[in-house]
Amino acid sequence: MEGTNYLTVAYLGMIAALAIWTWTVVVRSRSIETRLEAVESSIGIDVSQADAIATQSTDGTQDDSTV
Amino acid sequence: MRRRIPEVFLGIGFIGIMSTLFLGLNWAPSVSIDAFESPAAQRIFYWHVPSAWAAFIAFGVLFVGSALWFFKRSPFGWRLHVAGTEAGLACGLMTVWSGCVWGAAEWGTPWDWTDVRLNTFGLLTLLALFLVLGRQSQPDGVETRDTFSTFGLYGFVLVPFTYIATRIWQIRHPGPVIGAGDDGGSLQSSMALVLLIGALSFTIFIIGHMMISMRITHLEQRLEHAQKRLDGGN
Repeated sequence: MEGTNYLTVAYLGMIAALAIWTWTVVVRSRSIETRLEAVESSIGIDVSQADAIATQSTDGTQDDSTV
Repeated sequence: MRRRIPEVFLGIGFIGIMSTLFLGLNWAPSVSIDAFESPAAQRIFYWHVPSAWAAFIAFGVLFVGSALWFFKRSPFGWRLHVAGTEAGLACGLMTVWSGCVWGAAEWGTPWDWTDVRLNTFGLLTLLALFLVLGRQSQPDGVETRDTFSTFGLYGFVLVPFTYIATRIWQIRHPGPVIGAGDDGGSLQSSMALVLLIGALSFTIFIIGHMMISMRITHLEQRLEHAQKRLDGGN
């Protein structure tokens, strides 16, 4: 029985860690979503332009190939 | 409703994990007392194996994402890379922690530095830790993404190596109990059922996490872009 108690405590620790991780991620997603909606609605931006690094990288590759 | 699909996955996965634990602790039969030093601790197997399975899925996603970014410059690939590293780290830590708990009870030591399976899996988890911390500490840019993608591509070599490790060098870590390739494994049907529920639950849960992680990365990129616009840049 002592072994089962030990195991239950180990399990509870991991469940708590999972729950906290999940909660943090969901809250973070919702908070960014709210901030983004406010900023984007004020300037009217296109979603396809979101990853500026990828756009910059693709542009760079095209520039290189034309040189 | 479509925007809430990751949350639905997370909810279903979490309930499934709880059910697995309940069944594993209360319903699954005990193992032979003669075969184990600590038969009660063996029940951690219902957490350890599914979390390792989920970690392998996450490392697979990391590999695909790294390849898509490195060879195709795909923004979707970069988001997969980020999601794969975070999920791989979380599942890797769960696997290592549950393995240490079992090792301490069964072997009398939480870790064995001579066991190949333990150490290759530990290295995979450390790789995920390096990628998560590295991404947070470095400014986002093409070179940074290329460097981390390279680690993601080469680090994946450890996945098949970890998988076959106990088939070639069985030192401390037990050999495969399912898919062993000979007599179909040594699991009782009720144990296999709980394990299957666990594997499905962890898979659904980690897919939900990766979906939400990809959404966060996408939102952060949009926010950064919008803020640059607001500040007067392009």
